[in-house]
Amino acid sequence: MTQFGLTRRHVLGAGIATVGAFAALPRARAQAQTPLRMQLSWLHSVQFGGSYIAQDQGLWEAEGLSVMLDPGGPNAPVEPPVVSGQALVGISAADYTAAAVAQGAPFKILGVAMQKNPFVITSLPANPVNEPADLVGKRIGMALANTPVLQALCTLNGVDIDGIEIVPTQYSAEPLIAGEVDCLLNWETDLPVAMAVQGVDSVTMLMADHGYALHSQTYIATEDSIANRRAELVGLMRGETRGWDIYRQDTDAAADMTVARFPDLGLDPEVQRLQAARQVPLMFSDLTDEHGFGWFTEDTVAANIETLALLGQTVTADLWDRSILEEVHAS
Amino acid sequence: MTPTAAAGAMRMRVPRLALGPIMVLVAWQGLAVAVPGDFLVAGPWEVAGHLWQNAGLYFRALQTTLAAAATGFLIGNLLAVALAALALLLPRAEALIAGLALLVFCLPLVATGPILRVLYGPGTGPQVTLAALAVYYTTFVPVLVGLRATPAAWLDLVRSYGRGRFAMLWHIRARAALPYLVAGLQIAAPAAFLGAMVGEFTGAERGMGILTLQAMRGLDTEATWTLATVAAAVSIAAHGGIGWLARHALSEPPPVLLAPPQTGSGPGLWSGLRGILVVGVVAIALWWALLQIAGLNPFFAKGPGDVWAFLVSGPGADENRATLLAALAETTGALGPGYFAGMAMGAALAVVVTLAPALSAVVMPVAIALRAVPIVTTVPLLVLVVGRGPVGSAALVAVMVFFPTLVACLYGLQRAPGQVLDVMASYGAGRGKALLYARLPAMLPAFFAAARMAVPAAVLAVTVVEWLATGRGLGALMAVSASLSDYGTLWSATVLTAVLAALVYGIVARIERRVLAVFASEQAQ
Repeated sequence: MTQFGLTRRHVLGAGIATVGAFAALPRARAQAQTPLRMQLSWLHSVQFGGSYIAQDQGLWEAEGLSVMLDPGGPNAPVEPPVVSGQALVGISAADYTAAAVAQGAPFKILGVAMQKNPFVITSLPANPVNEPADLVGKRIGMALANTPVLQALCTLNGVDIDGIEIVPTQYSAEPLIAGEVDCLLNWETDLPVAMAVQGVDSVTMLMADHGYALHSQTYIATEDSIANRRAELVGLMRGETRGWDIYRQDTDAAADMTVARFPDLGLDPEVQRLQAARQVPLMFSDLTDEHGFGWFTEDTVAANIETLALLGQTVTADLWDRSILEEVHAS
Repeated sequence: MTPTAAAGAMRMRVPRLALGPIMVLVAWQGLAVAVPGDFLVAGPWEVAGHLWQNAGLYFRALQTTLAAAATGFLIGNLLAVALAALALLLPRAEALIAGLALLVFCLPLVATGPILRVLYGPGTGPQVTLAALAVYYTTFVPVLVGLRATPAAWLDLVRSYGRGRFAMLWHIRARAALPYLVAGLQIAAPAAFLGAMVGEFTGAERGMGILTLQAMRGLDTEATWTLATVAAAVSIAAHGGIGWLARHALSEPPPVLLAPPQTGSGPGLWSGLRGILVVGVVAIALWWALLQIAGLNPFFAKGPGDVWAFLVSGPGADENRATLLAALAETTGALGPGYFAGMAMGAALAVVVTLAPALSAVVMPVAIALRAVPIVTTVPLLVLVVGRGPVGSAALVAVMVFFPTLVACLYGLQRAPGQVLDVMASYGAGRGKALLYARLPAMLPAFFAAARMAVPAAVLAVTVVEWLATGRGLGALMAVSASLSDYGTLWSATVLTAVLAALVYGIVARIERRVLAVFASEQAQ
């Protein structure tokens, strides 16, 4: 937070406040829709199915909002558009948000779409990784940027990371199938799904089942937005919540709708259906059944802070702000 | 070209047209059969089937990306020609213009992509800009060389009519530069397409780049190779179309360039250092001013002061410097072998194709394809062949470097004046002698232009390879710091990348000046 001088933060605050003031103007007129943007963390896919439902079924319109969903990509970090005020909300993850806050960005986590972190270790049935101890002596393909993630998993489970050979690979299942590596660090909902559809069986070990507690697909906004654009944030999150509740009832329908909605993306219907089903257990839990979509508690936040400490990031519970969700689920 | 040679070329062209592509297709199908595993190579047969089934999808994607690429191609090349003309008209500003052009070309995508997306918002703005950025430099350099490739006597003639620099530029130099412009445009065609594809990585809803990402993740080998094939086919068509236009529009044979030898050895060390200082100061001033004008948030848009604090004066500067310098050392180590291998490969292929023109029908499509296909597609295959070690990095850099060198050298070899070749032929000198004494000296200006263009290309290639394959050096550091919002590291690494490229460029330019003062003194004015 102390990265920038006072003047710059002042300018930043003033800039966002100005945007906020302009955005608030149309709401004075009856029935007018407030336009706003949400920056997604990746290309359009059923990963954001609940948001498409909210848009298609007019759940945001009912809140007086006209929401545009901006796709992400490999060279499209979420933080710059959110910090610039271009997007009101971004889809991030607790570790990325913590890193951005350490660099001076005034972000808070408003809600958690993926209660369980989607990171898995994927291996082939002939040479499986069923638990962290199985990693010893194996070659793992991953982006070197994710070394702290593997380190955290090893520390949590008493495994010596020096016994694992890290091979820097692209984000693809190909090195695993080609035998260049024994396992991959990837998401539960993408590479294993692609392998399954291509007829390749795989074994996945969910890191969240072995102590790696880290909120993913989190909704972030700036402190200024939380202070000055509350009504919009509440409306946006209410639409999201309802959209995802509808999504959960029929994931196949959500997948088919996503494929039909983006005909230029070349989405495979089978992949989307499988992905849509596989992300449900990551997104919904006893906790969300009791309190509602996106919920988090002091306990889950504390577990996240511990995992973040293993990743070398020191944060406090201040990084999370539940006040928007509380308003959403109160009504 | 003499009449008999022209007739010979006509006779050769018919079988060559059919034979080349057939050989390429057969080799490709052979590769698909020979390479182990189902997920590495799809053959032409599978690609054709896949394309047929999904024709609509690929047509729409191609339309989107092609529109962005063509717009960027146009803007980038116009800018390049304007810059080259300006550099020639204002000789005092030439070093400054060339220096700034180099620095901007060196900016890595991982740093510029997100900023362009914030500046433009949704739409194809970043795609067009990145396509233009990918082409302007490789046109600027050869066109500037071409503007100088004029016989001194012609310029004297203009002077004797009492006309000035503008008349020289319009009547003499612009014509002389045309063949070099064609070389630049041919190099630019695949680069623009690739730039537009990579621009889509900054967040887009459709296009070839988006489909490539989907195919890679989806383990869809047929789609991956179909996309690579379409990208290559478009680039080959553009390359061929530009060449065809040039053959019909430019019928003038290359003139004999007689220019007085230069007495000095170019600017001395002091004036060279002063030039570098001026470029540095202006670049920093522009950088600062642009950030102010664009009003970008300082969280991700770092100014010169921020980078200075990060590297020198701020807290933790020592540690930051150590991290960056270690990465810089790794990158520099990987740079040299790939650069030299790529240059040697490009020049050697150009010589081979000149001596045996029949081979060009095989060599050129493969060369263009290697340049046009996104490196994300070729990395898995190259890694399989050469591994992820230093050889792998060098091979990937060489692939990125060799195409501009090949094209530039081909044009250079054709710049040997017909009169000189006729004299040699009348004395019974063979192809080898003509190559050694006429064609190679004529090629030197183009070769050195390629050597200079290849410097930033090699530096950018190294950072991409480090990011995708080896996970070391500045490229990996930049990717990691972008994902962790560590923009201080990202911008400092960007500055270091540009400085590294400028440094190597300076060394190449000094060697060039020495050599050309002897072999092509019109360039050393």
